[in-house]
Amino acid sequence: MKLRVAFFDFASCEGCQLQIANLEEEILDLIEIVEVVSFREIMKEHSDEYDIAIIEGSIMRPMDEKRLRDIRSRAKTLIALGACATTGGINKMRNQRSVEDVKEEVYGSDKITKDNEFFNVFQTKAVDEVVPVDYYIHGCPISRDEFKRVITALALGKKPVIPTYPVCVECKKNENVCLFELGKFCLGPITRAGCNAICPTNGSVCEGCRGILKKPQVECVMDILERYNLTYEEMKRRSTMFNMSAFSAKDEMTMVGGSKDE
Amino acid sequence: MSNTFAINVEHVTRIEGHGNIVLDVKKGKIEKLQWQISEAPRFFEAMLQGRNYDELRSITSRICGICSIGHSLASLKATEDALGIKITEQTQKLRRLAINAENMQSHILHVGYLAAPDLFGVGSVFPLVGTKNTDALLKIVKLHRLSNEMSDLVCGRTVHPIRLVVGGFSAIPTERQLRNLRDRLEEEIKTTKEVADVVKSVAGNLPDFTRETEYIGLTSDKEYALYDGIIASTDTGKHLDYRDYKSIIEEYIVPQSTAKYAKHARESYMVGALARFNLNSKQLHPIAKEVANMFGLKPINYNPFMNTVAQLVEFVHNIEDSIILIDQLLDDGVDDEKPVKAEVKAGRGVGIIEAPRGILVHDYTLNDDGICEKANCIIPTNQNHANIQKDMEEFVPQIIDKPEKEIELNLEMLVRAYDPCISCSTHYLDVKFA
Amino acid sequence: MTRSKVIKVIVKKDLDSFANNLIKDETHEVIGVKAKGEKFVFAPLENADELRLDYDVTILPPKKYFLPQYEKMMGFNLDKPFDVKESDAEKPRIIIGIHPYDIIALQQTDKLYLDSQKDDFYEKRRDNTIIIGVDIQNVSDRSFAASMKTNVTDSGFDLMLTNLGKDYAITVGSEKGKKLLEKYAKTKDATKSDIKKIQKVREDIASLYKKKVKIDKEKWSSVLVANYNHGIWGARSDRCMGCGSCTMVCPTCFCYDVEDEVSLNLKDGTRTRTWDSCLLRDFTKIGSGEVFRDDIKERYRHRFYRKGNYLPERYGFVACVGCGRCGVACLPDIADPCDVLNDLSHFEKSDDTDRFFIKQETKAIEGGTIHVPKAATIRRMEKLTENETLFEIELDDSKPIGHKPGQFVEISIFGIGEAPISVSSAPSESSSFEIVVRKVGNVTSKLFTMEPGDKLGIRGPFGNGFDVKTLEKKHLLFATGGIGMVPTRSLINHVLDKKNRGKFEDVTILYGCKRPCEILFMDEIKKWEKIDNVNCILTVDTCEEEENWDGDVGLITTLFTKIDLDKFDSKNTIAIVVGPPIMYKFVIKSLETMGISEENILVSLERRMKCGVGKCGHCQINGVYVCKEGPVFNYSQIKNLPEAFE
Repeated sequence: MKLRVAFFDFASCEGCQLQIANLEEEILDLIEIVEVVSFREIMKEHSDEYDIAIIEGSIMRPMDEKRLRDIRSRAKTLIALGACATTGGINKMRNQRSVEDVKEEVYGSDKITKDNEFFNVFQTKAVDEVVPVDYYIHGCPISRDEFKRVITALALGKKPVIPTYPVCVECKKNENVCLFELGKFCLGPITRAGCNAICPTNGSVCEGCRGILKKPQVECVMDILERYNLTYEEMKRRSTMFNMSAFSAKDEMTMVGGSKDE
Repeated sequence: MSNTFAINVEHVTRIEGHGNIVLDVKKGKIEKLQWQISEAPRFFEAMLQGRNYDELRSITSRICGICSIGHSLASLKATEDALGIKITEQTQKLRRLAINAENMQSHILHVGYLAAPDLFGVGSVFPLVGTKNTDALLKIVKLHRLSNEMSDLVCGRTVHPIRLVVGGFSAIPTERQLRNLRDRLEEEIKTTKEVADVVKSVAGNLPDFTRETEYIGLTSDKEYALYDGIIASTDTGKHLDYRDYKSIIEEYIVPQSTAKYAKHARESYMVGALARFNLNSKQLHPIAKEVANMFGLKPINYNPFMNTVAQLVEFVHNIEDSIILIDQLLDDGVDDEKPVKAEVKAGRGVGIIEAPRGILVHDYTLNDDGICEKANCIIPTNQNHANIQKDMEEFVPQIIDKPEKEIELNLEMLVRAYDPCISCSTHYLDVKFA
Repeated sequence: MTRSKVIKVIVKKDLDSFANNLIKDETHEVIGVKAKGEKFVFAPLENADELRLDYDVTILPPKKYFLPQYEKMMGFNLDKPFDVKESDAEKPRIIIGIHPYDIIALQQTDKLYLDSQKDDFYEKRRDNTIIIGVDIQNVSDRSFAASMKTNVTDSGFDLMLTNLGKDYAITVGSEKGKKLLEKYAKTKDATKSDIKKIQKVREDIASLYKKKVKIDKEKWSSVLVANYNHGIWGARSDRCMGCGSCTMVCPTCFCYDVEDEVSLNLKDGTRTRTWDSCLLRDFTKIGSGEVFRDDIKERYRHRFYRKGNYLPERYGFVACVGCGRCGVACLPDIADPCDVLNDLSHFEKSDDTDRFFIKQETKAIEGGTIHVPKAATIRRMEKLTENETLFEIELDDSKPIGHKPGQFVEISIFGIGEAPISVSSAPSESSSFEIVVRKVGNVTSKLFTMEPGDKLGIRGPFGNGFDVKTLEKKHLLFATGGIGMVPTRSLINHVLDKKNRGKFEDVTILYGCKRPCEILFMDEIKKWEKIDNVNCILTVDTCEEEENWDGDVGLITTLFTKIDLDKFDSKNTIAIVVGPPIMYKFVIKSLETMGISEENILVSLERRMKCGVGKCGHCQINGVYVCKEGPVFNYSQIKNLPEAFE
């Protein structure tokens, strides 16, 4: 019997679901090997019975938490799709400030927001801060190739292999000129690979959207900043776009996003 | 007739983002009719403040997955306007290719995957597989693939582009790559016409509903405006000062929506492909004009359902336009040029483009260090919400005697016709200096 | 130059014509050194104008043309998995502009990849590539090739170009090169004065180098041996991010990983080989999740030892050619071997550490490549315990696999991957053999879902196995723990076989498991006990009332007290110890107390065996390949081998 797959989205830009539509002809292969029972963006049909739930987006409100817990209880396997789901992604940037602060900034007086369920937000959470996640498909947006690898692995009954090494491995294989040598600060050396180093390969620094693997030693960072004439401010800035939780919490932080048994 | 019923569509399918349709009818009288936006606010405004000028396009790109190229381009234009950076001719052309690619990708996704199923009487494209319409589906997929590969080439990636940076591009396509693209675009004009024929064959299923509306979009003497232009309205004509967009676009808040509404000369107005067509159809390229004629689409067309047809027409135009742009690039010779360097200084900049769904404005104020202190964005779909509401108010009485399911489908089709991008629209950015 | 070679001279513009003629010839793909921004790369050449023979160093070495970053080894279709599709033939290549140090690196790679278990993918590419080298004209400031004596070479090329100013000299290195010149180039013979000029140019190259290593490469090995526990490894690796850049850009790094990829239709797939790096944490990770080189310090150190000690001991060359690429690529700048060796240069005295003697002979793989698995069918499955199942497998060509006890095979399931499993049955004429599988990872989990009649692939047998001849006329004492009984059974059944029994003396089998339900092959053990001069003693760590166990309870070391030491001839006893890592230390102590010498103790160690033929690099314990020199080891040889018993 084919695995039944359902897609759900929370607070996100829906770019990761779009990436799945971007599978083009291969989406027809996808619906051959699994049964897509819910995919709001491109399908009207919906079912509440599924084996695999794929979640895009971060969790921001009690109503979202409730919906997520319900989904988790129905699915045997839950996959976090994209940075907003796997690590909180760019949505976590606002966690630097208190919720009251940002609400006031955006909506001013609380005439509309007060007692309104839609506006009752807390600090952004990644999916695994609410329910257990079985598999992570990282990236902002996801890599279509990686998505295919994970789905085919699950369809074949094997555990998908997600890289635990940095982007530099893939960047060097592509024979890119290292962006540090061009005076730019790239997060590649500490960011999880699996995207085939797409940004450095296109001449742009890695922004760490797949989650950083490990905070490097301070001495190492200072060495690099000095060697390439970069500033600490720039490093901190770049690191806090997608990996805010790594740098706002206490010092001993390890991985952002990913299962604990890696 | 004295029918009493309620329609409550929570999270309309086949649109981007979360919106609800609520209709309460008692004894043939409309008690409540609302187009509601329930999208979670993500507070982008709180995230842009304090960020460096070279990060803004990365962050704003993530407002929306489908129009991420549009947001990046508007963001870059605003930043370059603030810093006084003048981009090269080549960059101008490449960015026009980028905007064409996004328009194509977004439109064919909407026409083929989101709107067409209603015309075929199915819930999604998937049931079309294995029927006599499989061929049409495969053609649509082929065109979608072409659009994405074009984005990949020019921007590095179609969702959240990489190559678009302040001052230009971080990597340039080679002449060989552009030549290959051009050949493929030329080849696929035929496929596009075939898809147009298929859509025409079911276009009769589009409701015949009109309501006199104001249309707003960019306009230009040089071209069918997408990347550059000045704001124009079908009611009031051209508006010359681009920085004064607020005098045309008046935003206001309503309780049923987490997104703002907008108005100008009337209670609401429409933006998007139909608006652009109504303003600038004379500047369409020839084959696009042919396709418009095929559907009897003439300015000014007041049927919102024809927005989908206008998108198809624009798709054709974008292909023709891209071929012309590539020919120009090849004639001039493609330079592996680096982006124009930015001189960091304080300033305010406004960047306006036509995203697939309509006019998009980014407005930034930077301080001496190039840090963003104030930002404002006007999102296309924001500007359409009021019009959707007004259209519904006029449409429902016309169809009130139909079976419930049909009314529900028609209302959904109305919303879909606008191709709304709701995640975007709750993210107007209005940051005050802390 | 010891051998006189044919040397020609060519005018610069004719050199361009030569290159353009090569490009026009459609039978070969022409690769040359080109600019990429401010750097250089080897890439397809479209016009001689692009050629930059004055370059200093390329980002990646030419190894990418012989061991590609991503290589499709074979294609398969899951409906018919053993109709393996060879990857498409590649066009032959001509590479213009390889520097001597990169040529030497390729010759080193040959020693590894073209040994008795040669890699034919690599071989084909080597045979199909014409190498046109160029003498160094500019030197990267991180390169120290001169002090490594790799800045010039007189072998390994088909043609070698030397810039003489107005023209170029071309030294012919092979018939292929000679024919190429004859066909496409306008040259004249070099005069005596030309030859003198070439010599001078080559001599002067050394003076371009600012960076020098203070220790001669002949001494690297002994310096490293003396400093295995030096503080420098921890101090430097503190800054290491484990990014793998140093190994990716290195011309003498050639470890790889293999993965199966299946397309969305769940039918078509490829088995892909890609560059791997010993600096990455999962390099040594096995199916159960254990990682053998977890500490970044150990991984960081391993790379220098592989280049400066392990490979030199094995092949006689230092696997570093001083190209300087890692110095450029390493962001915190800790990867440069020149810097490391210079730091160690005042610790030259060699220690007297017993090194593991690395034997070289391994049987050449007969027929077929080392990579393509042979088709086999599952004949029988028998559940032994909760987690272990026995599989009886027969090769489809009905030939016996011809294994020795202690060897292993790689079980290959297309679409899933491969796993190394010990052979459990004794060597025999029979065309089927037995393995016992514990469900830990993807491949083993998949095996558990299969049924008799299903097909899988076999590569091997690999490893050195037990040298049965050395056990003859000896008493044998087996100390087996848990799943260690699987390979041990192969040896026991061989020894106790009627045909062989007479060759061996008394046999004592001590077998310990965690609990009674985990004991394997109880029926066979009962049969063994009935054989003359065979004594089996079993124990479990713990047991519950319900399990009805009336044997010993306690660790395996307690069983040694049951052996009658008066009747025990320790001098003529060989002990065979196989079990979980924690067991070894204690058991070996017990054996020594009994008077068994270290030379008479055999152990079997497990690591991540992947290729099975000593090429992918994953199974290394220091410089020892567990898949070639092991998994069976003589304890005296490896007792001091770092990393072996941690």
